[in-house]
Amino acid sequence: MKKLIKIHSYLMAGLVFFAFSCNQGGGSGSSNGALSSNIAEKVYVAPGERDEQYGFLSGGYSGNLTVYGLPSGRLFKEIPVFSQFPTSGYGYSEETKPMLNTSFGFIPWDDLHHPDISQTNGELDGRWIFANGNNTPRIARISLTTFETEEIIEVPNSAGNHSSSFITENTEYVVAGTRFAVPVPQRDMPIKEYKSNFKGALTFIAVEPEHGHMDIKFQLLMPGFNYDLSHPGRGKSHGWFFFSTYNTEEANTLLEVNASQNDKDFIAAVNWKKIEEYVNNGGGTKMPANYAHNVYDESTHTATSTMKKEVLTVNPSEIPGAIYFLPTPKSPHGCDVDPSGQYIIGAGKLSADITVHSFDKMLAAIEAENFDGDAYGIPIIKYEDVVAGTVQSGGLGPLHTEFDGRGNAYTTFFISSEVVKWKLETWEVVDRQPTFYSVGHLMIPGGNSRKPHGKYLVAMNKITKDRYLPTGPEMEHSAQIYDISGEKMQLLYDFPTHGEPHYAAGCNAELLVNNSKKIYRIDENMHPYAIKSPAEAKVERDGNEVHIYMSTIRSHFTPDNIEGIKVGDKVYFHITNHEQDFDVPHGFSMIGQGTSEILVMPGQTKTSLWEPKKVGVWPFYCTDFCSALHQEMQGYVRVSPANSTIPLSWSLDDE
Amino acid sequence: MKNQFLISIGLSLVASLLFMCTPKESQTTEEVATEEASHPKGQASVVDNVSDKNILQVAASSEAHTTLVAGVEAAQIEHVLVNAGPLTVFAPTNEAFDALPEGTLVNLLKPENKSQLATIITRHAAPGSYDIASLNKEASKGRKLYMATGDYLEVVVTGDKITVAGAEIMATIPASNGVIHVVNKVILPN
Amino acid sequence: MKKASILMIIGSALLLGLFVFPLWNIRLGAPQYPEPLGIDIHINGLQGENEFDIQNIDGLNHYIGMKTLPKPADMWEFSVFPKVVLSMAVIGILIGILGFIGKISSIWFLIWFIVMGILGTLGIYDFNLWLVEYGTDLDPNAILKLVNPDGTPMKYNPPLIGHKKLLNFDAFSYPRLGGVLLGIGMLFSLIGYFLGRKSTANLN
Repeated sequence: MKKLIKIHSYLMAGLVFFAFSCNQGGGSGSSNGALSSNIAEKVYVAPGERDEQYGFLSGGYSGNLTVYGLPSGRLFKEIPVFSQFPTSGYGYSEETKPMLNTSFGFIPWDDLHHPDISQTNGELDGRWIFANGNNTPRIARISLTTFETEEIIEVPNSAGNHSSSFITENTEYVVAGTRFAVPVPQRDMPIKEYKSNFKGALTFIAVEPEHGHMDIKFQLLMPGFNYDLSHPGRGKSHGWFFFSTYNTEEANTLLEVNASQNDKDFIAAVNWKKIEEYVNNGGGTKMPANYAHNVYDESTHTATSTMKKEVLTVNPSEIPGAIYFLPTPKSPHGCDVDPSGQYIIGAGKLSADITVHSFDKMLAAIEAENFDGDAYGIPIIKYEDVVAGTVQSGGLGPLHTEFDGRGNAYTTFFISSEVVKWKLETWEVVDRQPTFYSVGHLMIPGGNSRKPHGKYLVAMNKITKDRYLPTGPEMEHSAQIYDISGEKMQLLYDFPTHGEPHYAAGCNAELLVNNSKKIYRIDENMHPYAIKSPAEAKVERDGNEVHIYMSTIRSHFTPDNIEGIKVGDKVYFHITNHEQDFDVPHGFSMIGQGTSEILVMPGQTKTSLWEPKKVGVWPFYCTDFCSALHQEMQGYVRVSPANSTIPLSWSLDDE
Repeated sequence: MKNQFLISIGLSLVASLLFMCTPKESQTTEEVATEEASHPKGQASVVDNVSDKNILQVAASSEAHTTLVAGVEAAQIEHVLVNAGPLTVFAPTNEAFDALPEGTLVNLLKPENKSQLATIITRHAAPGSYDIASLNKEASKGRKLYMATGDYLEVVVTGDKITVAGAEIMATIPASNGVIHVVNKVILPN
Repeated sequence: MKKASILMIIGSALLLGLFVFPLWNIRLGAPQYPEPLGIDIHINGLQGENEFDIQNIDGLNHYIGMKTLPKPADMWEFSVFPKVVLSMAVIGILIGILGFIGKISSIWFLIWFIVMGILGTLGIYDFNLWLVEYGTDLDPNAILKLVNPDGTPMKYNPPLIGHKKLLNFDAFSYPRLGGVLLGIGMLFSLIGYFLGRKSTANLN
């Protein structure tokens, strides 16, 4: 009997084993057998279901930021940042025009490159997202509760604001580095005298912890190289910031050739803590400047623009021991720091290899003064004393690197169109997957923090060609999403993006969903032209300015008949949306208006300017299909000749 | 007797389980094998008969470069040659490949030597667009050409003759994504 | 009898819960309102489940010509109900105390229960009258004038209890905590009566 039990238990063990192995075999068999349908399941988010993660893709030359769901690749919103945006009236409404003010005047466009989500202790905290305007140097802060741009600060002494807008690990600073070296201060001088005369400004903008308000703390006036990209130190290297450079040749023409001469350019390591201490103790030189600081106030729904007249500059020679150069081969582009803060990755864009510097080795080399001369007084650390390893990738044109938090790094290769996965510390390549085509940036949500959420990787490509149904010569850029949870990367999905994504930021959905605002409270609306109820609607004349305090609620404007407007008037429609119901915006547009419509969210007030040029009776209407009777939501303005004596009057339903 | 009976039932059960598993296992291997055997689709697969010809298309249409094109395909680096670049490619002629030591080419074209072949061909490509005028300028300024493999090659100008690492430029053909210089020698590592 | 009186006291005291918790609730859900709009009916007025629900229900109802939802001052019920409930609670507690010290018999518990039952029925009757009036007395100039297949004007009164489909909305009407406490309180008084009778019978 005992024996029987024994055999029985062996049998059971055997059965369990086979059942298990069969299950395994069956599982993987079906995953390969039905390869594509299984992948489809990984990106399929059923109707009514929601994505796991948010992706914020830069819009590049669209000037805007786009919000996508991952893994579905569905577009949720386009957030206007540096560009006028008729969809909402951003940059067209009187309240938001000041957001686009600069020292050059109203600049309705910029080239948005590098979104970065605010962090606390090196982890994403989901309060704000920062982004840089590349062309007319600016940094924007976007709220992640309203998903609206709240603040834009212009960066003086900068040009081609490219090594921006990366934040330190407690959001102490958002950093903006210049791509083009320029005369500082700007002046009339021969271009040929670039060398040693032009400066490259690295700007540290302090972020006030409670509201996120930005203020330039100091500008470091570096040698006239081109500062390409940057990333903060984190963990052990917190307090340092790393900038890649090219054109250390200081060429001012045909950079394609002339800036590719030096075998090695530099990654600049900046000890910002040390410089911060220096300026806190009165260091640095105040320099006259002129730059705009634009702040949108959520309670007044209005932006104000202030011109600042001074900036604190620091010359590297004033503060020895704060800045070092790490030689890095072949015009490094991407400059990325791993989650531990130990490794600084420089991807020489003309190189076949990826160079990895060690933070510990850097400190030791500084301690031992293992320098290989200096550049403009800034010590150059000996290459072999700082390099931790090189990744022999077998690819061509490495650009950017992100991390999965499991000891792996992922680098994009533009020329060979691929993402290469390699191991930190052993530097061995473990996987490579093609991209379609010519990938620029890549993004792993949290991949630029201490805690990456290493499940998906989004590759943002520069070339689309035949990926989608053709749409003529101009096409949107393509992106691919890969599952990186396994040993090998798996291509899941391919989706078009909007504008040209240069970099992106992402986070888990739960970080943001519960903080996302549904409505603005009408009782908290402090807009000077807001009315608290439709009963307060009125029209006032002040010379040739007419202010219409108008209300919208389903499905009418109050008032909807207005008379007494004259040709040559400046008519301001101050529209308050009295709805307090989620997702019930109303729009407003007026015939012949030289601006866009405006879209007013529940509880919000926005102002649209109209300068009537012709006598007549002119209609306006709601531009958002707000309700079943949206089509009835309309009204008339009677415009009389300039010398008319018809009194101002307004009504709704003849009352 | 009872034990034997049970064991036999057990064994047959196990056997049937094995049998049930087996077909799936073999199916898996087959699928994986076909996946790997297929050449990954890439930018070179884009059908476009309208744009100016890119480097790969120019080379493919030249009777003098059939060996080079075969090598590019064997090394699976055709996607690189259609990339936006710009690239400068020094394209050895068929004769140049024929001049290699006996058996070298046959050996390189073997699948197991794919990466070696890729390195050799990639050494003929430089990031950047260098036409004859720029090559002259590079030579006059004493600057070497940085190749896609990380090597530096010397450009020498003697009269009308330009050589790159000893390979003489016979002709120059512009392409949509760079320049092709036809050369009379395969540039091998030092 | 002591146990019975304690039940009576607790039961009557539970009525006071109506001053804190809503008596009833009507909830309106629709595809475009995945988070339904809800009205909590308190004895002294209506309150939105979420801050702006009342405003939004009124906003929607204006299409079908319904009157706006009543403010406390608009309906006598909202001033009378609290007084009635408070009185009944005080009287119930007094009866309980008197029973506890043996001054009265448990028949008073039953009387209280019956009075409360009559008042409750009147209350529900009144509530139903209001629902019907609210749902059928529509503005003749309403934007949407819908008729039933038989040609009679469509009625929009939510159900007294349970579920009813009103156009694209699903209306649900159920008691809330205050109403439940009222029920339990009345049940306690009834149990108190039976327990009291039993203990009296035993004594006899």
